[in-house]
Amino acid sequence: MSRLPHSPTQRIDRGKELAFSWQGRPMKGFKGDSVATAMFSNGVRIFSRSIKYHRPRGLYSLDGESANTLVNIDGECNVNAETTLLREGMRVKAQNYLGSVERDLLGIFDKFDHFMPAGFYYRKFYKPPFIWPLSVKIIRKLAGTGKIDPNKKWSKNDFQELYLNAEVAVLGGGPAGMKSALVAAEQGLRVVLFEARPWLGGFYDWRTRRYKDSEPLFERGRKLAEKVKRHQNIRVLLHTFVTNLTGDNLITAFQVGDEQAPFVQRYIEIRPTSVVVATGCTERPLIFQNNDRPGVMQATCALRLARTYGVLPGTRAVFSVGDDLGLEAAIDLHDMGLQVAAIADARQNGHDPELIQAVKERGIPLFINWAASSANGNTVVNGAVLGSLSSSESKAFPCDLLVASAGLSPVTAPLSTIGAKFTYDAHTNFFLPTELPPRVFPAGRMLGYTDPASIETSGEVSGLKAAGSCGLKTSAGKAERALQDLPGPKRGCNIVHGPHIGSGDKAFICFDEDGTYKIARQCVEQGLDLPELAKRFGVFGLGPSQGGIPNHNLPLVLGELRGTAMEGLFPTTTRSPFVPVLLATVAGPNYQIFKRTPIHRLQEKPEAIFRRTGAWQRVRYFSNDLTSRDEIMAVRNSVGIIDVSTLGKFRLFGPDALKALQRVYISDMSKVKTGRLKYSAMLNHDGMIVDDGVVTQIGDNDFYFTTSTGRAGNTVEWFRYHTRYENWEFHLVNLTDALAAINLAGPKSREVLSRLTDEDISNEAIPHMGYKELRVAGKIPVRALRVGFVGELSYELHFPASYGESLWNMLFEAGEEFGIRPFGLEAQFTLRLEKGHIIIGQDTEQRVNLLDLGLGFLWDRNDRAGKKIGAPALAFTEGQKGRLKLVGLKTDEPSQTPGDGSVIAKGDEVVGHLCSSRYSPTLRQSIAMALVVEELAQEGTRLNIYQNDHNDPMWYKATVVKMPFYDPQGKRLKE
Amino acid sequence: MGSKRLWKKTRLKKSYDAVMIGGGIHGLAAAYFLARDHGITNVAVIERRYIGFGGSGRNTAIVRANQRTQGNVRLYDEGLKLWATLIRELDFNMMFYNCGNLNTLHSEAAMGAARLAVCTAQLSGVRSELLDRKQCKELIPALNIEDNITYPILGGMYHPPGGIVRHDAVAWALAKGASRYGVHIHQNTEVTNINVEKGKVTGIITNKGTLKSPRVLICAGGYGALLAQMAGIKLPIHPLTIQAMVTQPLKPILNHVISSGAYHVYANQTLKGEIATGAHMDPWPNYTTNTTPYYMKHQAEALTELLPCLKGVKFMRHWAGIADMTPDMAPILHGNDPIEGLYLDVGWGYFGFKSGPITGKYMAEYMAKARRPQILKPFSLRRFEQFRHTGETAGAFSYGPWN
Repeated sequence: MSRLPHSPTQRIDRGKELAFSWQGRPMKGFKGDSVATAMFSNGVRIFSRSIKYHRPRGLYSLDGESANTLVNIDGECNVNAETTLLREGMRVKAQNYLGSVERDLLGIFDKFDHFMPAGFYYRKFYKPPFIWPLSVKIIRKLAGTGKIDPNKKWSKNDFQELYLNAEVAVLGGGPAGMKSALVAAEQGLRVVLFEARPWLGGFYDWRTRRYKDSEPLFERGRKLAEKVKRHQNIRVLLHTFVTNLTGDNLITAFQVGDEQAPFVQRYIEIRPTSVVVATGCTERPLIFQNNDRPGVMQATCALRLARTYGVLPGTRAVFSVGDDLGLEAAIDLHDMGLQVAAIADARQNGHDPELIQAVKERGIPLFINWAASSANGNTVVNGAVLGSLSSSESKAFPCDLLVASAGLSPVTAPLSTIGAKFTYDAHTNFFLPTELPPRVFPAGRMLGYTDPASIETSGEVSGLKAAGSCGLKTSAGKAERALQDLPGPKRGCNIVHGPHIGSGDKAFICFDEDGTYKIARQCVEQGLDLPELAKRFGVFGLGPSQGGIPNHNLPLVLGELRGTAMEGLFPTTTRSPFVPVLLATVAGPNYQIFKRTPIHRLQEKPEAIFRRTGAWQRVRYFSNDLTSRDEIMAVRNSVGIIDVSTLGKFRLFGPDALKALQRVYISDMSKVKTGRLKYSAMLNHDGMIVDDGVVTQIGDNDFYFTTSTGRAGNTVEWFRYHTRYENWEFHLVNLTDALAAINLAGPKSREVLSRLTDEDISNEAIPHMGYKELRVAGKIPVRALRVGFVGELSYELHFPASYGESLWNMLFEAGEEFGIRPFGLEAQFTLRLEKGHIIIGQDTEQRVNLLDLGLGFLWDRNDRAGKKIGAPALAFTEGQKGRLKLVGLKTDEPSQTPGDGSVIAKGDEVVGHLCSSRYSPTLRQSIAMALVVEELAQEGTRLNIYQNDHNDPMWYKATVVKMPFYDPQGKRLKE
Repeated sequence: MGSKRLWKKTRLKKSYDAVMIGGGIHGLAAAYFLARDHGITNVAVIERRYIGFGGSGRNTAIVRANQRTQGNVRLYDEGLKLWATLIRELDFNMMFYNCGNLNTLHSEAAMGAARLAVCTAQLSGVRSELLDRKQCKELIPALNIEDNITYPILGGMYHPPGGIVRHDAVAWALAKGASRYGVHIHQNTEVTNINVEKGKVTGIITNKGTLKSPRVLICAGGYGALLAQMAGIKLPIHPLTIQAMVTQPLKPILNHVISSGAYHVYANQTLKGEIATGAHMDPWPNYTTNTTPYYMKHQAEALTELLPCLKGVKFMRHWAGIADMTPDMAPILHGNDPIEGLYLDVGWGYFGFKSGPITGKYMAEYMAKARRPQILKPFSLRRFEQFRHTGETAGAFSYGPWN
């Protein structure tokens, strides 16, 4: 492991050596290394194999812009070695190869690329058809990169969430970003600064050139960073990857924790007032033969290896550059001991004369208007060919490093997702944002600035504008004028690919999915000549790193191949996440959130089985007997108790309260009386039942009503919506959570309740469908509703939620001598089925309306105004043929119980289905409610029922019978 | 070079025998079958962007025939069987991966609903089975069948004939096939109006000129209701955003399509190895295709509970499309009423992919014969004014904040 001598630009801590392994081979790196730089410093050149051709791939950029450096670390697959900090003991492994990653046997595919032209997937593998299933197996096995370790354990605390609040967010901690953060913070605004690298400084961090003849850029960067970190209004989030910027400035991101952090990663959301996007530039890859060979890398990658990590990227290098930064890198690396055989610069003019002078001083051959045309070497680079862009001249050089770049690409992902429009700018060769949403301000290099002073001033302009858009009276005018006096955006290199590109060349536009220039040409030839179509057909930018590498080049290449101007050609829309993000991070700690009733704790018996019911957790069974027989029999024979606090409970009052009731309920609600309950239903415009419940009057223009559990949340809005054109005065109060509710049911329920109250609860005082407000246990104000959902004498008690547990316990105690039992939803299901009472959604569906359910008696036909919701639909469909009807049925064999959903068949035609079907322990007979076609709805009709659970087909015979099944006269309710 | 093109480049003519508005798989399929089966080849497919831009290229590519009602099952079953035929006929591998679909069930009510779908499928000659939770685990070993999650799994509905199809390839294959019969495909062409005279459709106006045609099919996915409005027809359609995403490519881990109603999530591993996953629609009508972070969070939460090994997988792309929802979640396949020559293939919501080619086949027949094929009977537009919803979903469906 050889490193360059210490230099102040370096970010590694030589005092802290870290051991790790690559492919089982022990290696050493330093704290501060990324996994990739540590591997590279140990001589690793081949990091991975490409997905299609299995070509060797190595270090290319350092910011995770391609799949080249995806590895498996400690069982986690597809980890980018470039953006992951090295830690002690890491076990790093290569992915997706056969044999060894250096000699991948699947590398044979590289020889057969002519069998894999654009869209070859769609022309092969399926003739004759019987080979296709086999092809699928092989394709699946070959495709994909990482392999999931199904046994890898993640701790719940590994992933956390952070929801921030600030006026300004700055994306990017380079010079422009830091400057804008500082000026905004100086205005007193709270600023959050996001930086993907583990430190601030952007492209200053490794540059030794001087800022306007003062300090070196890296020093300036570090001073700025100190200032930013010390500023009390700025929160700096390092090693934090922004994943999305969406409408109204919602930013999502995730932070990778350092060794001290209590989390592995944390998910971050913030919605600042303004956003400064100072994401800078990446290098635009140069497209030429074998531009993917390990040993070919970007200029900043080579320079950063040396300047940041103290690793010389090679011994003898050839440079093919497209901007001054490339020249600067060549000079600086030369001075650090890299042999530079030659530099090709694709630009014809516009070079920084100082740099040209420096190149000449060092005696490095410089080829202007030349570029790399080929990298040589079978696995890693052992030579390079440079060629003239204006003639057929070329020159070969032996080398182990080919630094290649076509110039710069702005990082515009956040602007793309927030809806900016882009225009191709011939001067910079950038797609520049032209139409921006309000309160979003791009800054710095991404706008084409290359001069440090311009970049910093551009950051100040955007920072001030961001502050201004937060409502401050700041003006960016002075800074803008200063910016005008500084060097403007620099002319960009517009080279599309290297010289002399051959028709069979493997010149890659997209590394992730082996998308070559040749494939792009084939796409155009086949008419798939728009970036969106070529992207999908030829597969560019759909791989693990998404648009990173090909996004800028693809439209340029298509423009050239089509022979058209850039008009109408744009990079495809960037999709979030900008950086791939772990599902575990996005999911966060995976809280199980549900609503608890005031009596929830007392339901948590050891044997109780809960089910999620909408927002609630409710008990379905109180024992392992899933028929709930004992619970049912307790209600039928003695007394049972159930927590029904989830029922919707509402008070409706005001001068027009009755009008509102009349509008939404299908019955004549003027008949609702004090002390009495009226059962009715709410319909939608199609006559379908959306809710049922009871209503009573509790005062002048003052009503109390219940809704089903599922409707409680929608009821207020339902009233409001359906009275929106009326100028009615009424108030609706949702008491659902304020009141607990217990249903005390069974022949002994009166006796139980009477032990807790002195008030008259006799059949005369509270008859069936009666309502009375009582004091129970001396002081608990209880609304007693004598409803009969389960078909027995029962009292539904509504009372303040805070008394929930107390009253439950008191009732339980009072009922002990009668063998009181709690009963769950399953018991309630069977009990009400025996009574023929419907559950909405279980026994109803969108093909049936109130009439089909046999509930037509609820409809107030005298409502001449026809303004009741659903009434016109009922009038229209009355007598309509061919509708489904709800019927009761009994199986011929009393003990045979088909399941819910079993089908009623006539031959192989489905003519109905069972909605609710149970064995009734009370009647010792299987019973069901079913929806059937009208012709089969007559009493006495014989039905064939089909069911097939777990490959056990069953046919049942049944007969349509009258409902209710239990206590048809309702005597038990009225006693 | 021209011979290599998947579809021919053509000039916009002044008059066609039929015009399809929308260059997705429905329009391309209708054009293809109109030309192939009915000899009507002077046909144009008009596409505002590029073919497959809309729902055709934004869905999660799942195909199946285990719907709730028999009428639906018959159409989808025929559709399922059509893939193999089309792949042969169009000589284009649309990569039908017949991996089967497992629908996990998390409540007694869901078990009942699945039983209905299973029995209905079986009586219709379609393979579908009700499984218990252990059978689910046998099928998908990565599945979490413990009770420690929000919605523990009680059982499953397994549908072996289903799977996934490479969605973009369907659009390209149909374009290729239609073009071979002489159908014109015009991309970057926006319809600005539909011409109707005396109750008859006479053509359309586009940003590139006016076309005459006695038959016009609206098959523009999420934008169908806007186009119908140009002809004066107000459709009971709500456009809702629906989102989907994929993970980075992985070696095979998921060998079936998995879906869960309770979590509201569905996922499958594409042949490329990515896990493609989608879920509910955003419940407010709109025409945007914006993605939202909460949606990704929902997907991550649901998937990591159902398949905990996916915690260590990364999402890499998230997108959205528009679903055109009808009140009963079944499509509107309608024509010649109230405007002669104007046909509707709209309201597919998020079922438009699996139904594409088969619907195109029957809409072509409808347009050629001006008579509704029997199999399309349940999907008349008139059902809404007669309060006769189809039974595709159990619950009454409505969209908007007031429900």
